[in-house]
Order: sequence, then structure tokens, then C-alpha cells
Amino acid sequence: MKRYLETGNFAITEGAILAGCRFFAGYPITPATEIAEAMSRRLPQVGGIYLQGEDECAALHLCIGASLGGYKAMTATSGPGYILYADPYGWAIGCEIPLVILNSGRVGPVSGITGAPGQGEFYLTRYPTQGGNYETIVLAPNSAQEAMAITVEAFYLAERFRTPVTVLADQLITDGFEDISVPENEDEMKEMGFRIWPRKINRGPNFYPPTDEIDIPPVVLGHNTGALCSDWTPTEEGYDIEEVEAHHKHAHRLIYKIRNHRDLFNHLYEKKFMDDDPDLIVVSYGTPSRVVNTAVAKARQEGLKVGALRLINLWPFPDEHFQKRNKYLVVELNWDGQLVREVQRAAGKDSEVHFTGCCGELPTVNDLIEIFQKILKGQPLARKGWQLEEW
Amino acid sequence: MDYLAKKYLRPRKIPSTACSGCGLGINHKATVQAIYELGLEVEDVVWGTSIGCAGRQTFGTWKGDGFAGTHGRVYAIARGLRLALPPEKKIILTVGDGDAFGIGLLHLIHAARCNADLTVIVNDNLGYMSTGGQYGWTTPYGSKTDSSPYGMFEQNLMSEGMDVLNILRYAGATFLARHVSMDGYRVVESIKKGIQNRGFSLIHIVYPCPTNFGSRELGTRSPLKIYKWIESKAAPLGEEKEDTLWATGIYYDASNSRPEFSETIRKNIERIRRSIAA
Repeated sequence: MKRYLETGNFAITEGAILAGCRFFAGYPITPATEIAEAMSRRLPQVGGIYLQGEDECAALHLCIGASLGGYKAMTATSGPGYILYADPYGWAIGCEIPLVILNSGRVGPVSGITGAPGQGEFYLTRYPTQGGNYETIVLAPNSAQEAMAITVEAFYLAERFRTPVTVLADQLITDGFEDISVPENEDEMKEMGFRIWPRKINRGPNFYPPTDEIDIPPVVLGHNTGALCSDWTPTEEGYDIEEVEAHHKHAHRLIYKIRNHRDLFNHLYEKKFMDDDPDLIVVSYGTPSRVVNTAVAKARQEGLKVGALRLINLWPFPDEHFQKRNKYLVVELNWDGQLVREVQRAAGKDSEVHFTGCCGELPTVNDLIEIFQKILKGQPLARKGWQLEEW
Repeated sequence: MDYLAKKYLRPRKIPSTACSGCGLGINHKATVQAIYELGLEVEDVVWGTSIGCAGRQTFGTWKGDGFAGTHGRVYAIARGLRLALPPEKKIILTVGDGDAFGIGLLHLIHAARCNADLTVIVNDNLGYMSTGGQYGWTTPYGSKTDSSPYGMFEQNLMSEGMDVLNILRYAGATFLARHVSMDGYRVVESIKKGIQNRGFSLIHIVYPCPTNFGSRELGTRSPLKIYKWIESKAAPLGEEKEDTLWATGIYYDASNSRPEFSETIRKNIERIRRSIAA
């Protein structure tokens, strides 16, 4: 194990390389540029390829081409680049191409504030492309060290599910310097829980079986397997077809191969002070969860019976955490409230769901504790000027 | 079934579902003929296509591996694939004019810029014909289409002395040719040269669309009429007449004169690895 004082960008790069990533195509964008820079330095050292795309749309298409040729491939960006993935992301979902995509959230909409953290892509990562009829896997780390582990895990899931996986981070995770341990051999990787799935080659002739099975090798071109992949609804062999029944089978596979194997990643969450059935559950993901954890620990010392639930697996949404009637507070780095909508849906009408948002900066521990107190006392939340405090 | 089709194409996809009288099959056959004459086998070629008439009708026809990319992005996909495949594998792309010169022009220019070893066959039916017939970026000035009912008057990549091949030449392409489908064996020869160039090659082939272009511009779906019309507007390079729209032949041949994209990348990675090891 080697220890570094380094950024999340460094950790993500090292994680990708450990997972077998040998192709990265990116486009400079704050705050994910340093991943591209680190990849351009590190990949040639291990025989990998770094490329700059003419835009993010091209970058992800380059990754798709490389993945179709047998590489484990990755790209990284922020919100304004992530929207340009709409085109290739959909193609990769439909053709079941393994890819890893990192999105370091900043403040939007559009370019917004480039060097500050935001969480504006909670729903965009669920619906990164048009057309519907698919499920997506999205994982959200909350530290540099965890970003490394989640990147490794994303490559593992991408191969097994034959699909792009988004790692949703934010500017503080990718830019922030932290204590990072990098495993140096397979034993150390195992010790850290890193799982690796090698690239396999589908030999056909049925490249798109109409089942929810996972672990089917992806299409790899250039091995003369007769593999086909296209934009259109595929037959099992990969021919284009315009028939509702064939499309139904395809859509069913894209949705249920993920929904029916959630046990592979739905253990990815963190609970703190949740054993004694707390009166208020504070829900968050990414960097704000670190403030939430501190606030909840401090609130406990003050006698408030609060617990913290941190989601790492964001999509498919883990409804199972919200089955019990309770009071929930959702803390997010946006003003409009995104995760809170999903919590409201999952928690049902009998639960009380509150929202507190900020953007570009983190909430403070004291602010959060004040909100906990108000919710527990049944008092209305208010913030100067903002009508957004309470959902 | 044709001997070429038997050897190289999938019976399930041949004949294609192209409209009656469509000229695309001529270009398709010229491409396969070129592959045959170069002695290439099914496993030597990965065949990519795009969206639109040219993309959809040629997708999945090749017996070997194939893909149809997102609209206009196949050039980026193919560059990624180029890096992953061994250099001796040929990547041949059959695309349309809207795909290459409209939505995909940026990616096309960047593929030419880095001289990626791709052979791009642009099958130009003079606009967006699979969506019913709207003008595109090579539609002759004044042509009536469903989106230019008063005649196409917008400047495009082939009007006022402009030529889209010039853009690609100065972007770094190393082989460029233009034909009309009826050029027969000359088309095959150009495609052969394109495939043999270890770099970015593009062969622009205008082909007749009786169903949409012909019916709107010429007022008839008679294949004969549009075949004759295109023929009358084409002349070999150097023999152009006043009303020639398409001067045919090899525009630019700098085959094997520039370092190829994937070769450059591989060489540099090797160099870096050696310097680290030393």
C-alpha cells in the first residue's frame, strides 16, 4: 500500500488503471480536467492510450470505439460536458457497451460557477439520453479514497452488466486533497474490496439475448465473430428491426438486467446512528454527506435522535431504505431539490419529507442542527429570502 | 445471387430494402468489388455505417463485423476502434451526405486532421432523402426539395465555387476522390486506391434518388430521368463544361505521405515506455 496526499482526480485515475482501464478520451473541463491530465501522464506508462476529443460528444464516441475494439475505456467531465454525452450514452446503453463515465458536479445551469461543487445532475444521470426504455447504474462516492474504490467498482459493474456506469462526484471530491492509499498488488486490492472483471469477447451468434441475464460478454469487433451493433432496435443477432415485439424484448432486457440484479450494488450505502430507529433520518450523497455525518454526530451529543443515511448507489433508486414511515430531511447541493423528489416518492404519503439545499458551498454543521431541531419540534423551516427551504 | 454478394454479403440483408430505382446499390457493389479486387477477405474488414438511406441500407450487409453509429459520429467511433484494432484490419465506412457533411463534419475533419486509416464512402443522394427529401449541404443550387419548395437558395458546401473536398484536403486527408454512380469502373479504382492509402481516404459518390430527389426536382420518379440528369451534370476532371456540377476523378492523392493516426499514437506510447524503462 502506498500513501499519498493527493486529489480525488488522482485517486480516480489510479482506480481506473487498477481496474484495467487502458483508454481514456476526454475534453478539458473544470473540475475534471486533472483526471484527463493524470490519465495523459499515467496511461502511456502502462501501455494505455490517452486522447483528447474535439468535444465531449466525440470523446465518449472515441471511448465507445475503443471499448468495441476490446479496451476498458473511460471518460470524465462535468455537467456541461455530461449533457453532450446524450448521443453516445444512449448508443452505448442500446448496444450494451461497457464504459465508465465520471461526472464531477459543479454549479449550474450551463457553465454556472466552474470551481464550486454542485449536485444538479441527479436526474440527468438517471436519464442521460433520450427514448426511455432503459435503466442506468449511478454510484456516488464522498471522498477521494472512496472515489478510487467506486471507480474500480464501476468498471466491474460495467463489464458484468454490459452498460455504461456513471460515477457522480462533485468538485470537492475531485479537486480536494486527501490522504489516499493505493494498493500495490492483487492481495492489497482484495483486502480493500476491489473487484475486477476482465473483458471477455462475445462469440455470437446471439449477441443480444432477450433475457435479464448478466455476465454475457459484450460485443467486440475485429474478431470476425459476425458481431453487429447499431442505433436501431436489434434482433438477437444484431440486425436492425422495426417490430414492437423485438423492441419490447430489447427494452425489457435493458431495464431488467439491471433491476433484477441490484444485489450486486445495493449494498453501497452508509448508515450512521440508524440502529435505534431515529426520529429523523437525514439523507444525502456525495460531499454534503460529510457535513451531515458530523452534524448528526454532534446532534446526538445534544440529545437529538437523528440518523444519517448516505446513498452511494443512486440509481436504480434504492427504495428499500424508505419503506418505514418516518421523518426525512434531504440535504443537497442544489436549490431546486432533486434527490428529495425521489425520497418523497419512495417514502410515501405517510412520511414527512423535508429539503434543505445550497449550492457552490456546503451547509454548515450549525445550520443543519438548527434545521434538525425545528423539524423534530414540528416548527416550519425558513431561510431569509428563500421559499425553497421546505419542500 | 451475385458472386460478390455470395462471398461477402449476408443473404438476409441482400437485396436491401432500398427504394426501386435507388442508385445506392451501385455504390455498394463498387465498394465490394474494390475489396474483392484487392484480395481482401471477410475478416480483413470491419464495416461501419451511419444513419439515413446510405447507413441503414448498407448496415449489416457485410458478412463480417459491422456497426452503425450515431448520426454523424461514426468518424469518432471509428477512430477509437482504429486504435483498438490491428493496423492491417481495414475500416470501411459507408455513410450519407447529411451524416458526413452536415451533422458529422466536425468529427470528419478531425478524422482527416489526424489522418486516421479509414476509408469513408460518402453516398450522396443530394440531401436528406430517408426523411422524405429535404435539402442538404451538397444539394445543387436552385433544386426543389420538400424543404426548399422555391428552389434551394442557401449557400452550401458545393455552391459558389466551394468544394467540401477542399476543406478535407486542408484538414489533412490523404486521399480524396469524387464520382457519380454511373462512373462504373472508375469508381472501383478510386475506392481501391482509398483502401490502399494507409490514412484518411474519402470517396464522394453522387447517386440517384428517384423517389424523393427525382420526384421533387425533376417532377418524375423515373429512374432513367435522374440517372440521365446526374450523368449530364458530371464530367471527368479537366473536361468540365459550364453546367458541370460534379467533376469526377481523383481530387487529391497524397497516399501514404503522412504518418497515420494509430501508428503515431502507438509509436509515441512505445517511445514513452522505453524512456521510462531506461
